[in-house]
This record gives sequence, structure tokens and C-alpha cells, in this order.
Amino acid sequence: MPILSLQDVSKDYLTDGQPVHALKGLSLNVERGEFVALVGRSGCGKSTLLNLAGAMDFPTSGKVLLDGVSTSSLEDNGLTRLRRERVGFIFQSFQLLHTLTVFENVELPLLLAGKRNPREAARERLAWVELEGLGDRHPHQLSGGQMQRVAVARALIHSPSLLLADEPTGNLDTMTGNVILELLKRLAREQNTATIVATHSLEAASLANTLVRLRDGKIEELTRR
Amino acid sequence: MPRFLLFYRLMVRPLLREPLRTLLTILAIALGVAVVLAIALAGDAATGSFRSSMETLAGENELEVLTSGGVPEYVVGTLATLAYSIRVSPRIEDYAVITDTKKSLPLIGLDLVAEGSAYAQSAFQKTAESQTQSAQVFNQVGDADDIWVGSSVGYRTSDRVELLINDRVRKYTVRGVYPDSNGNESAIVMDLAAAQHALGRYGRVDRILLKVPETPSLGDWQLRLRTVLPAGVEVRLRGTATNENRRMLAAFRWNLRLLSYISLIVGAFLIYNTISVSVVRRRPEIGIVRSLGASRGVILSAFLGEAACLGLAGALIGLPLGRLMATGAVRLMAATVESLYVSSRPGAIELNGACVLLALAIGVGVAVASSYSPAREASRVSPVEAMARGRREYDARVHKARDLWLALVLGLAAAAASRAPAVAGKPLLGYLAAILLVAASALAMPAFVDALTSVASNLLDKVFGVEAMLASRTLRASLRRTSVLVGALSTAIAMMTAVGIMVGSFRQTVVLWMSDQLPADLYLRPAGFAAADRHPTISSGVAEEVAKLPGVAAVERLRAYEISYEDMPATLASADLNVRRSHGNSDFFSGRPREQVFAELRDSNAVIVSEPFTYKHHLKAGDSLTLSLGATQASFRIADVYYDYSSERGSILMDRQTMLRFLPDPAPSNVAIYVSPDSQLEIVRAEIEKATAGHRVLLFSNRDLRAEAMRIFDRTFAITYALEAVAIIVAVMGIAGALLALVIDRRRELGLLRFFGAATWQVRKLILIEASLLGLLANLAGLALGFVLSLILIYVVNKQSFGWTIRFHWPVEILFGALTVVYGVTVLAGLYPAQVAVRLNPIEVIHEE
Repeated sequence: MPILSLQDVSKDYLTDGQPVHALKGLSLNVERGEFVALVGRSGCGKSTLLNLAGAMDFPTSGKVLLDGVSTSSLEDNGLTRLRRERVGFIFQSFQLLHTLTVFENVELPLLLAGKRNPREAARERLAWVELEGLGDRHPHQLSGGQMQRVAVARALIHSPSLLLADEPTGNLDTMTGNVILELLKRLAREQNTATIVATHSLEAASLANTLVRLRDGKIEELTRR
Repeated sequence: MPRFLLFYRLMVRPLLREPLRTLLTILAIALGVAVVLAIALAGDAATGSFRSSMETLAGENELEVLTSGGVPEYVVGTLATLAYSIRVSPRIEDYAVITDTKKSLPLIGLDLVAEGSAYAQSAFQKTAESQTQSAQVFNQVGDADDIWVGSSVGYRTSDRVELLINDRVRKYTVRGVYPDSNGNESAIVMDLAAAQHALGRYGRVDRILLKVPETPSLGDWQLRLRTVLPAGVEVRLRGTATNENRRMLAAFRWNLRLLSYISLIVGAFLIYNTISVSVVRRRPEIGIVRSLGASRGVILSAFLGEAACLGLAGALIGLPLGRLMATGAVRLMAATVESLYVSSRPGAIELNGACVLLALAIGVGVAVASSYSPAREASRVSPVEAMARGRREYDARVHKARDLWLALVLGLAAAAASRAPAVAGKPLLGYLAAILLVAASALAMPAFVDALTSVASNLLDKVFGVEAMLASRTLRASLRRTSVLVGALSTAIAMMTAVGIMVGSFRQTVVLWMSDQLPADLYLRPAGFAAADRHPTISSGVAEEVAKLPGVAAVERLRAYEISYEDMPATLASADLNVRRSHGNSDFFSGRPREQVFAELRDSNAVIVSEPFTYKHHLKAGDSLTLSLGATQASFRIADVYYDYSSERGSILMDRQTMLRFLPDPAPSNVAIYVSPDSQLEIVRAEIEKATAGHRVLLFSNRDLRAEAMRIFDRTFAITYALEAVAIIVAVMGIAGALLALVIDRRRELGLLRFFGAATWQVRKLILIEASLLGLLANLAGLALGFVLSLILIYVVNKQSFGWTIRFHWPVEILFGALTVVYGVTVLAGLYPAQVAVRLNPIEVIHEE
């Protein structure tokens, strides 16, 4: 069973009273451990797809099945639980909380899920992203690349089945960006985590097992390698 | 014009985008302005425009002749027969209660035969019609049961009216109605002889008004007339009593006015916070505008202008609100003035041009002054840095250690100021000490908040979970904003605590004092109108009849007179000290046994005086004072000073026999009755009621009297509590507004939490814990500051304003209740911001940046 299944999904928004069709009848299956690159121009629907995949939003029509569970069948609490247990997010601008230390940032999803003593898990995830010894620092004491590694560690803290990354290298220089992409690819393989990366980066596209090219809310090209 | 357009676009429009938060800020200012205005308006109406009720129908007389206990009637003849062209108007002055309506009105006895038409001509010069009416009204002198009333009282000629005067009720016939300027001159007028009869004041009048020729000067007339008057009788400018009363009320008004500024101080904190938030949010914009050519001055005036707009809007709302609040305040103030100071008639509440200017000046002035610091900071922003670094510098600019040292210096200055004496009779340095302490507390706040949130963070995490940890971290991270909010709320709480402790201590002191001063079982007093300066009497003989009743062990007759001592009103009283000696339990400054002190008073010119009296006149035990009593003057030695909390006027107490030597009227003002230990109180009470059936008297048990005293006490401080409540409301509104701002500023972070699996209830919990932490910090800081302020209020401000010794007492239950309510309300203030946080769309806010 695919970890993520989008079945004939459409998503419409109203912007200034005008309907915008962000996704139009899109279908896609993502398996565990698969590394998917989502490419396309700005506004083609990449972020919308990630939001639907991450149970942050509902489709206007069609079905989104996350680990076999239809997101449309769940209330807010059920969606929250689904996110907590199955999904990890990574953002372009890192989105670390500056009031918390690196350890505390990484631990946050577990603490929100009511888990006690998450320090060991945080230490382990920081080791995965090669940031051992920096746990007590605050985000402003880190470089951009280090901050994004912290974000990756945070996204993986609860061992999600699905990792969603929205332009994870957009705020980084090419070399650092490539390192982060390599890291994501490696972790997807090692942890058997399905990873979807929305990106403009050709490097990301070349690393992916699956390349999904979106255009005007539809899949223009789907390449599995 | 382009500048106004820019100001609108860059400063006003952002305010309109957050209407609720802007409204909360404006309302906070409006409430502050309204309270100050209400107290000023009510003060003017209840005391400021104070005019003794006894000046009713006083006409254009320039001088008055009077003495304690009444002027002997022969003095009228002496003055009337002088070889000068002087108009002599003897008056009897007291109060009567219309039994139907329970309305009390001045009762004026005039020599209508002698001055009917003359009086009418001089007293009512307003219109030709009223002049004619008045002349007709007072030219009809009739019987002893005839009265004339002001038109506003609502009676017509020939109506029968039942009046309660002292302890007697009698029916009178309205013989005429005079125009009384919308109630300002309303009174019950009767002929002098009839009034003397009704009040039992035979052979004396209360006051003689004189109209003297224009030359020589009034001062010369006073000197000239003094030579023909008996030693104890004084001649002075008419209206002197009004001025004396105004002086006496000055401290009351002054303290109330200062209390009304608390809300404004709290409001100032909140304006400071609003403009600070505004500066932080717009740092990048400031950078851009600066880089496009705006000068520092433009930035400074833009932010000051923003504050001025808020202040102006607040003042405009505060004006009608203040007028509305004044209506309630004047009732409370008038009741306090009457029970503690003097019988008076509140004037009309007048919202004039000066009031409008005051409101605008307060609203705009406080807003601009409190916003100056953040506005100046905005003007100093480096354009490049502002565009690059945004908000972080704001939080970095808190100098905890430096501010803590400054707080220490201010605290020491406050300690020094609190030990200084009064300035011109006012506790100015006491107030300065309080202001310095509030400032010191504000400066120490960042260190306090930082230390406490730091300590609490881990503990909260363990007890309340990750939301609590996030809340405490957020508050600590926005240290300056948090400190200002905690400072605002803690100032309001501190003032509430300080006033609560002061009033609680005062209350407890009065309760203990009453247990000493009210040892009798029953108390009898006339049903007629009584006030701090009005002492109706019980017909002579009643007390003696009661004393003979079975079961009555003893009666103690107390007589009180309203006097003027060294240009200040005071109460002169006498009591059967032989009775009190055997039953009482008085408390003196010297600590001597009461028997010893009272023994000194028997058959000698010795008196004891109350603590406020010694404070007002700078006297002490062993000093002498000279009193005008009837036609004579006599010197008295102060044997001791006693604690007295019944009135702020100041009292002199002598033995009844001593007083009767000078003022022979035996009628007591009230009677304390001691029941034999072997008799049943209720049986004796019934016997007394039967014996006094022909008189309108009120019989109180000891418990009833104490309860009545405490009711008056609580009513006196009701306005104080109301002022405190408004300050708290202002602060809580500020907290709600600030939390809203905090939610809006942190929407990205809150959205992010949703991405990481936070449920909506967790976001709500986070905001409520923040509100709760703010409330907790403010309660702790407010309680500590309030305790210190209460010491200043009790031992400096109260002592220097009123001269009372108050024993410190923790009103634990009241404080606990009040702080719990404030805490609860603060948490509730977080509900709406929490709801806003929950409603945020995480996808939108994440992609905003």
C-alpha cells in the first residue's frame, strides 16, 4: 500500500472573490522510502499538493489517503494526530523558534504529542544530520545550512512515514543546498521514509527516484527511475 | 497636505487594520480620562463649589456675628441700637425633615416682622417678578405654625406639612412659596420666635447677619463692632464658615483626585507598550522611509502623532463617559462629605469648556508623553540596520542590570522622601515617595520577569507541559514588552493592594476603637437630620426619665456643638465622664488610665482633644486653648489626646458639668444607656421605647450602632474601590490588547506549531498560559509593591492628610479575593486572543514570510 495516495484530487481557492483552481484532478502514489522531486513554475500547485499531502488542508474533490486513511474523513483532532505520527515538514526559511535551543526545537513535535523525555531521540536525530554538540545553541548562533539541518532533524524526530520539504534549499547557497539534498536522500533511504521535495533545483530533480513536473495544477510529466 | 496623506497612509491606516486592538487602547485612555474628569466634576459639585447650606437666603449681608452654642439674644438689641446704619438680621439655623418625603432641608428662622420686605428686596434681586413675589411672600407674618418654602420643594400655599425637628414632629401650614433658583435656595423658613420654639433655643440665635455701610472698610467695621460685643462673640466676614469648610475638604479632594490618576498612569504604560509594538513592527518600514529621505524629526513626530491620535480619540470618548461617571461619583462623595465633614448640598455637574480642555490635555498629553521614549527610539533607527535586522534589536535593548541599579537608587530616594514632613499641610513628599516606588518597580521589572520566567520555565514544563514552556520562553524572549505589560498590571494591582491594606487596616482600627468607645448597651438619638456638623438634640428630661427606668444602670448624656477653632471647623462635645469613667475603656496617647485622665477633667477647665484636632492645630497634651462659649471666652488645658475615628473634623471633649457652666442648654445630642447586668436587654429596650413614645428618637443596640458605623465607613470608601476597579479594568484591557498584538506578531510561530502536530486546544492553552503567567507575575510584583505603598499610605499620606493613627492589618480575605478575581480576569482576557490564534490559517501564515 502506498504511504500517500492522491486520487483525482482537485483544490479550488477563492482569491479576492475569484476562484483559483490550484490542483485539477491530480492522482499520485508515493511508496515508503521513495524520494520524489516536485518541480514546476511558481503557482503551479506544488505547495498546495504538499499541504494536502501533509493533512494540513482538505481537497475540494477527490481523495487524499495518508497511510490508508482518508484525510477528508477526519475532524481537526484526527488530522492533528495523523500529522503528529506520520508527517514531517521542512520549510524554505527553516522556521526554527528563536526562543528555543537546538535541542528544544528538535524535541518540539514529540513534546506537542505529549511524549516525555525526548532528549535521547533529539540527540540521535542531530547525529543523523551531523550536528552533535550543537544542541545547546540557539538558532541565531548557527549558519543557514546548520539551521536547515536542525529543521531536518526536527522533521524526523517522530520517525514520520512521509517527509514533506517545501523549497528546502531556497535560502541556501548551491553547495550547502546540495549537501542538504544529499542528506535528505540518504535519510529517505536509511529510514525508509517517503520524501517529497518541492523544488526549483535541478540537483534535487536529478537525485529523485521520481520526478513529478506540475503545470497549472496538473501532472505534466511523471518519471520514475 | 502631502504630510497628512503620508501620516494617514503610514500611521493611521495600520491602526485601522487592527480595529479591536486600537479600540482597546483608545478605551484604556478613555477610561483614564473619564475617571479623572468624573472625580474633578463630582468634586466640584460635591465639595469644590461647596457652599454651606446655611448660606441659604443670606442675602447681601457682609458680616456675621456668632459664637459656639449661640449668640445671646440681647446682642441683637445691642447691635440694632448702635448709632450706625446697620441692618441686623438674626437667624436660627438648623435642619428639618419633611416626614412625607424624608427630605431634609435647611430650617431658617428669620425675624420676619423686622425685615420681611427689606429681606425680600435684597435677597431676590434677580427679576422684577421674583422681587415682587418675595416681598409678598415674606410680608405675611402669621402664627407659630406657619412656614414658607422654596418653590422647588413642591408645596403650595395652605398645604399642611409635617416636619421632624430634633425629636419632635409637628404640623405646619405653608403660608407662602418663594422662588428658589432651581432648588439652590430651597429651605423651610419660619419666624424667628417660632424657630426658637421648635428647636428649644430660647434666648439665643445661631447667627446675626449684618449689612453695613460701604465706608469704612469691612475690616474697620469688624474692629468697631468687636468693641461692643461680649468677649466670646465673634464678628467676621460672612461666608467664613464656607471657606473654612472648603479648606477642611481640601485634603479629601486632593487625595481622591490623586487616586483618580492611577488609571491614567496604568493607561500611560499601555500607550507606551502600544507605541513600542508599533515601532518594532514597523522597523523595516522606518528603515525604508528613512532611506527615502525622511528625517529623524519626521519619524519622531509621526509616532508622537500616532499617540496623539489615540489620546485625542480617548479624550473624546472619555468626555461623555466622565460626565456619566460623575453622576454616580457625586452621590458617593456627597454622602461621604455629609457623614465625615459637613452638611452640604451638591451643586450641579457642569461640563464646561475648562473640563473639555482638561480632558483633551490629559488624553493627548499622557499619550504623547508616554510614547516619547519609543518614538525617540524609532527616530534613531539606522535605515540599513532596520531593513536588515528588523525586530531583534528591540528585544536586545533591555538593560536589566543598569535599570536594576537605577531602581535601587529610586527606592532609596523614595525611602528618604517618605520620612520628610508635610509641605503646606499636604503629604507632597509622601506622594513623591509613592511615585518613585512605582518608577523603581517599573525599572526593576525586566530583571524580575527575566529571573522568574527563567526559574519557572522548567518547572512549568514539568507541570503544565510544553505549552507552558513555550509560553514562558516567549514572554522571556519579549522581555521589554512583557515587562511593560506586567508593569502596567502590577501598578494597578499594587494600588489596589495598597489601598486595600490601608482601608482594611483603617477598618480594623475603627472596629477595635469602637469596642473601646461604645461600651454602652443601648444608644438613643433624635430622629432629626444629623451630619458631621449637625447635632440635633433630644428634649431635655428624656434622658433623666430613661435613667429612672428599672433595669437602667446609668445613662451618659453627650452634647455636641459645631464650633470654629482657629479658622477650622471642629466639634465641641461634653459627656457625663463620671459614668464613662466607671464603664468606659478609653485610649489615650499618654497611655494613662482613663480614670486618671477623667478625674483631671472634673470641675476644671481641662479638656481632652482628638488626634486629628492636635494634628490640624499643632497642639499636644499640656498646651492650652481658648474657646468662645456663648458670651464668654475661656482658656482650657489639654489634659490628654485621645484616638478618634468618628470624624476628621477634630473634637474637643469636656465634662458635661463644665460645659453647662458656659452653655447651659441641658438637651443632649445623644444618650448612652447602660443596662444592669441582672436585667434583660430586650425588656429594658421595650421600657425605653414606651417611655420615649412621644418623641421621635432612634434607639440602637450596641451591635446595630456598630453595624451602622461600619456601613458608613464602607460607603465612604466605595468610591475608592470604584477607582481601583477602573484602574484594573484599564490594565486588563491592556493585557487583552497586548496579547492580541502578541498573537498577531507570532502568527507564523503559531502556524508552525500546527504543522508540527499541535492541536487547536494546545494553541489555545499556550495563549491562556501566557495570559496566566502575565497575571501571576503582575500579582506577585503588585503585591510586593502594594505592601510597600500601603506603608506610605498608612504612615505618611494618611497621617499627614488627616492625622489619624492607623494600626497595620493584613485584610487577608479581601486581598486574596481581589487578587484571585484580578488573576481570573487576566486569564479571561486571553480568551479572545487565544481564539484568534486558533483561527489562524497555518498555511497562510507560514507562506506570508
